[in-house]
Amino acid sequence: MSASQAIFASQAITAGWMEIPTSAVDEEARRRAEDAAIAALVDQYAGALYRVAYSVLRNPSDAEDAVQEAFVRVLRHRQTLAEVRDQRVWLIRIVWNIVLDRKRRAKTRPETDDVSELTRVLPAKGLSAEELAAAAEHHAHVLGCVNQLPAKEREVLLLSAFDELTSVEIAAVLGISESSVRSRLFRARNLMAELLDHERSLR
Amino acid sequence: MNTNPHNAMDYGEETLRLIAGLPAPAGVEERVHAALRAAPDKARDKGHVLAWPARWRAKAVLESDWMRAAAAAAIVFVVVGGGWGVYTRVQQGQTGSVVVMPLRAPSSGGFAGAGAMRTPSTLPGTKSREQGSKGARERETQPVKMPAAPKKHSAQPANQVAPTPVVSQ
Repeated sequence: MSASQAIFASQAITAGWMEIPTSAVDEEARRRAEDAAIAALVDQYAGALYRVAYSVLRNPSDAEDAVQEAFVRVLRHRQTLAEVRDQRVWLIRIVWNIVLDRKRRAKTRPETDDVSELTRVLPAKGLSAEELAAAAEHHAHVLGCVNQLPAKEREVLLLSAFDELTSVEIAAVLGISESSVRSRLFRARNLMAELLDHERSLR
Repeated sequence: MNTNPHNAMDYGEETLRLIAGLPAPAGVEERVHAALRAAPDKARDKGHVLAWPARWRAKAVLESDWMRAAAAAAIVFVVVGGGWGVYTRVQQGQTGSVVVMPLRAPSSGGFAGAGAMRTPSTLPGTKSREQGSKGARERETQPVKMPAAPKKHSAQPANQVAPTPVVSQ
């Protein structure tokens, strides 16, 4: 099945006008339609989910594993796919829970950001080698401060960095109200400013 | 790069936005597709804890509602029936309040008892009424006074027969 056909099937199922046959005879057809819908979701959202996972895990292979695990979970619960209103937020919520769980399990690992990895990953347009190294060191320092934030504030701050997510969608991902998102974001920004100022004064 | 400390937060957000905007590596979608294809059948299944065998499922006989209801009724019947059976047996067992000791079967080998009965060991002497009282216990602790032996008045004991004189012929 081509990507356009898969997207068409996904949209049709989501919109509700393409009825997934419920009779036992059409079980195979139903399954094929669900597979097509999931394939369309992969094509559409795998990249976004990867970025969400990477923002927390900061490891490419771990982030990709998390994305794969998220879609395997979708496959496992595909009968509920038609009931989902906003699939993007739903998928981000799934991958968010996976990465938080992984982060919690790997807590014994030191939370240090590899400067060389950041140098390799982050964009370096028009920067000399020295500037690039300084920028990477600074980014690592900022990420270290982010890690010092309380979990609730850190989560909101990380999700707010995604331009495509509104505060309503962040609230839906985290399962809290929009006003909580705003207040947590306010606290997170203040804490970050204090931490960065403090670090600068020590230098 | 902004080094103004008053805009420290902007700087922090800039870092996060840079990371959030990093493009996904090429081929992520294909690798996810491959992972989904290689996902175990358990994940492809509907998520039931128990599933009918594939052959029956293909015939779709057991997917109907009445078959599910019949299966559920059968399970309930077995559970209730089993519980009732256990309940009635326990009731019968509790009717006898006297514990009956099993009879000892004579052993086939070894020594026979020859009808002897075991008697409990008794205390020496006769039991008086005040046995168990304080005086009795004191007496028990003291050494037993044995009656003195009768003195030997004659050289020969009375119960001894005198030797018969030997008659020489």
